[in-house]
Amino acid sequence: MTDPGERAMSSSNTMEWLKGVVKATKLYWGLALLFAVGVLSSPVSSKGHNIFLSFGNLSDVFRQISVTGITAVGMTLVILIAGIDLSVGSVLALGSVVCAMLLTNEGWSSAYLLGVPAVFLLAFFVVLGTMSFALRVQRRAVHAEAAPGMSKVALVVALVAALLIALRVASNSGSKAGVLLVLLVVPAVGLMLGAINGVVIVGGRLQPFIVTLAMMVAGLGVARLTAGQNTAVWPVYTGSNATEDFEALRSLIFGIIPVPGVIFAGIIVLFWIILKFTKFGRYIYAIGGNEEAARLAGVPVWRVKITVYAISGYLAALAGILYVAQYRQGKPDAGMGLELDAIAAVVIGGTSLMGGRGSMIGTLVGVLIFGFLSNILQLNNIDSNTQLVLKGIIIIVAVLLQERRSSGWMFFLSQLKVRNAPDRSVTSQQTETHRHGE
Amino acid sequence: MDNQSPIVSLRGISKSFAHVIALRRIDLDIYSGEIHAIMGENGAGKSTLVKILSGVHRRSGGHMEVRGEAVDFATPKEAERNGIAIIHQELNLIPSLSVSENIFLGREPLRAGLFIDYAEIERRSAEILTRFGIDIDPRADVENLRVGEQQLVEIARALSLNADVLVLDEPTSALSEAEAQRLATFVRDLARQGVAIVYISHRMSEVFALADKITVLRDGNFIATRRSGEISERDVIRMMVGRDVKKQEVAPSVSESPIVLSVRNLSLERPNSRGRIHSVVNDVSFDLHAGEILGIGGLLGSGRTEVLELIFGAAIGKRTGCVERAGINQAAQSLTPRRSVSKGIAFLTEDRKGTGLLMHADIRSNAVLPSLPWLAPLGWISKTREDTVAGRIITAMRVRCEGTDQGIDELSGGNQQKVVLGKWLETRPRVVLLDEPTRGIDVGAKEEIYDLLKRLAGSGVAIVMVSSELPELLSLSNRILVMCEGRAAGIIEAHDFSEERVMELATPLGNALTGAAA
Repeated sequence: MTDPGERAMSSSNTMEWLKGVVKATKLYWGLALLFAVGVLSSPVSSKGHNIFLSFGNLSDVFRQISVTGITAVGMTLVILIAGIDLSVGSVLALGSVVCAMLLTNEGWSSAYLLGVPAVFLLAFFVVLGTMSFALRVQRRAVHAEAAPGMSKVALVVALVAALLIALRVASNSGSKAGVLLVLLVVPAVGLMLGAINGVVIVGGRLQPFIVTLAMMVAGLGVARLTAGQNTAVWPVYTGSNATEDFEALRSLIFGIIPVPGVIFAGIIVLFWIILKFTKFGRYIYAIGGNEEAARLAGVPVWRVKITVYAISGYLAALAGILYVAQYRQGKPDAGMGLELDAIAAVVIGGTSLMGGRGSMIGTLVGVLIFGFLSNILQLNNIDSNTQLVLKGIIIIVAVLLQERRSSGWMFFLSQLKVRNAPDRSVTSQQTETHRHGE
Repeated sequence: MDNQSPIVSLRGISKSFAHVIALRRIDLDIYSGEIHAIMGENGAGKSTLVKILSGVHRRSGGHMEVRGEAVDFATPKEAERNGIAIIHQELNLIPSLSVSENIFLGREPLRAGLFIDYAEIERRSAEILTRFGIDIDPRADVENLRVGEQQLVEIARALSLNADVLVLDEPTSALSEAEAQRLATFVRDLARQGVAIVYISHRMSEVFALADKITVLRDGNFIATRRSGEISERDVIRMMVGRDVKKQEVAPSVSESPIVLSVRNLSLERPNSRGRIHSVVNDVSFDLHAGEILGIGGLLGSGRTEVLELIFGAAIGKRTGCVERAGINQAAQSLTPRRSVSKGIAFLTEDRKGTGLLMHADIRSNAVLPSLPWLAPLGWISKTREDTVAGRIITAMRVRCEGTDQGIDELSGGNQQKVVLGKWLETRPRVVLLDEPTRGIDVGAKEEIYDLLKRLAGSGVAIVMVSSELPELLSLSNRILVMCEGRAAGIIEAHDFSEERVMELATPLGNALTGAAA
C-alpha cells in the first residue's frame, strides 16, 4: 500500500528533512533540556564561574554515574530480551564485600570460598569459548557442526585450564589481594550468581521477575554471611590496610578524567558494538522481539538468555569494585535500591520493557539524565526527600519525552481526552443491553 | 429484493493514510438478506473499506447512510449500536479468559448490578455455540484452543450482538474445509433471516458458492459490482489483477528419486485444556523423496501442524519415534529447531505474525535471522553482506517494499509471507516444511508462491506442505498424506487424487461435523 512515488510527490522535501532531524534527535531532547536547566539554575562561585559547568563538577558527575551506569548496561541487555534483573543491587553489595575482604584480609576467608569456584566457572567458559571460536575460524562451511571428538578434547582442556587458574587464585589467599586479582575474582562471583539466575529462569521456565527477586533476597543474605556478623562494614584504606595499587581505581587521568568514568565509557562502547554489530547482539533483539519466532529460526535461545543474565551479574559485581574504590568500604547494604535506578535509567533511555526495542546509546543518555539530575538537585541544596519526589516525577516526564514510537505527548493528551468523555461508553452499553433484551 | 432500499449505502468513500491513498471514491449498496462479497488482491482496499463501514477507521471523504440516515462512526461501538458488527481477520480475543467470557466481554450481564453473572454468560454462550453447531466448551480457556477454533469463538461473539449487518473479513482463512462448509451454511441461514452479510475472502470457490453479489476493488479503486450468477471466476480474477491468470494444472506423478527424509512412528502426547494427557499425533510414518511435494491434508486439529513440528524438533510435549535425515537416525525427542536449521530443514509456520516474523524489526533483520550462523561465522555481522542477502530475497521473491530497512509491519500479508519464505530459502534447505503457505494471501501472490514451490521441487528440494485448501493441495502435491485424529489415515497417490477421496480419509467415521473441534 505504501507507494514510495506517491509519498515523495505529496510532501515537500524540507518538511521530510525536518521530521527526520526531529525523529533522529528526539532521544537527546530531555538531556539537552536538563543540561540547560543545570546551567541556568547553578549557583555561581565567588569568582563568577558557573559551578555546574566547572571541570570539577562535571568530572564528579562522570564518576558518580559510573556505578549505576555499569549496572544499567547489563540491565539493558536483560530488558532487551524482555526480562528483568532485580538482583543487581544485592550482587553489587556482595561484590563490594568480597572486594573489600580480598583487599584487606590475609589468609583464607569466606570471600575465597565464593571467589575460587566463581573463577573456576569463569575460566572454564572463557577457555571453552575461545577454543570453539578458534575452531570456527578454521572451518567456515555452511551447515557445519563441530566434530564430536574435538568438542570432548576442548571440554577436557577447558576443565584442566580452569582448575589450574582457580588453584592459582586460591594459593594467593596468604596475602592481601592486589587490584588485578580483585578485578578477576569479584566480577566472577557476580557472573556465577547471574548464571544461576539465567539457568533457573530458562530451566524452570520461571518468570525473571520472581527468580531475580529471590536472588535479590538470597544475595543480600550471602553478602551478610560473607561479611560476618561482627563487622558488617569492611573499610578499605589503601596504603594502610590495603595495597597501594587499588588507589588506581579512584585516581584521575590528567587530573580531570576519573578512572571509573573511563571504565564505564569503555563498557558502554563495548556493549554498543556487541549489540549493533554482532550475531549475539542480533539474537538478543530477536529473542526480545519474538522469542518463539527466534527459536524456530534456530536461535540458541537458552544459551543467549543465560549469557545475558550472567553478563548482568558480572557487570553488577564489577560496579561493586568501583563502589569500594569510591566509598572506601564494602558493605552488604551497598546496593540498596540500585536495581531500580538502573531500570529507570534504561527505561528513560527509550528501551522497551516489552523487549526487542532499545539501544545502548539510549541507556547512556538515561544514565546521564539521572546523574545530572542528582547533581543539579544537590547543587541547589534541595532536601534529599524532596529529591526523591522530583526524581519520580522527572522519570515520567523523561519517558514521555523519549517515547519514540508514537509521539508521547500526543498519546498522553489523547488518553486524557478519552477519560473526559465517559458518557459515550455508558450510553452504548445501555443500548446494547437493551438490544439484547429484545 | 431489488425494490427495497439498501440498509447501508456508501457514496464516493475515500480514505488516505498520511500520504498514501487507500480508497478512491467507492460506491457500495448493501441490502438485507443479501451476501455481498468484496474481492481484490491484498492492498486493494477491502479491509480499509470494511473498517470504515464498521467504525474502525474514519473516512476522509464521501457519504454514508444506514437505513436512510447519514452516519459518521467514530468508534466500532457506534457502528455496533447501528447494528453493524465486524469480525476482523486478526483474532481479537483475550487468551486467558474463557470462551464465554470472551463472547460477552464488555457487556457482561450483571447480578445485583455489580457481580458478573457467570451462569447467565455460560448459558447464553452455550446457546449461541449450539445454534452455530460449534462443539467448544464455553468454559474452556481461549488460549487452549487452536487458531481455527478461536476464530469460531470470535464469530460467535459477533453473532451474539444481534447485528443486522455482519462484516466478515476473511473468516475462513484459518478454517479447515469442513469448518468452512459449516460456516457457509450458517452464513446462508443468517442471510435468509434477513441479515446483510459483507464477506471478504480470497477463496474463489467459496465466494461463488456463497455470495449473491460480488464487488471487486483494485488498488483502492472501485472496479465493478455484479450478481455472482452473471460472471465467472475467470472474470473476477481478471478484474482483480487486471490480466489473465492461468489455472493450476495437476502436478506430475512421483518420481523414484532418493529418499531425503524418513519419518518412523512419530507420536506426540500432551495435556489438553483440562489437564488430561491425550495423543495429538499417533504413530505416523512416511518417506520423503528429493524433489517431491508431499501434501498433508486433514481437518483442523487432526495433528497436521504437529507432524511438521515433530520433524523440525519444535513440538512441545512427549515426543516419540524417530526421524532419519542425511543418513543419520535421530530420536524425535533429541531434535531441536537449531539443529534442524543447521541440517538444512526449514519450517514456515502457519502463524506468520506470531511465530514467523519479528514484527517490529525491519525487513533486513528478519531476512537474515536463520542464516546468521554462516553469514556471521565469527559473530561479526557485516551490513554489506546482510544487505546483499536481504536485497536478493526482495528481488527473487518480488517483495513490494521501499527498501531493506522498511519495517516488516508496513508490508501487506502477501509480501510478509514472501519475506518469511525468502528467509528460509536463503538457508539453502534440502527439506522445506510449509504450514498453510498461502493463508491470507491474494491471488497474485499465491500464484507466485505456487510457481516458486514448483521450481524449488524441480531443483531437488523436498517439500512437505500442510494446507486447508483442497484445490491447492491437489494441484501442487505429488502425493497427499491425510491425517485424521492424529493418525495417518492414508497416503493418496497422484492418479487417485480427488477432493472426495481426501475428505473421505480426513473425516472420522460416523460424525462428520463434530470431529474437528473435539
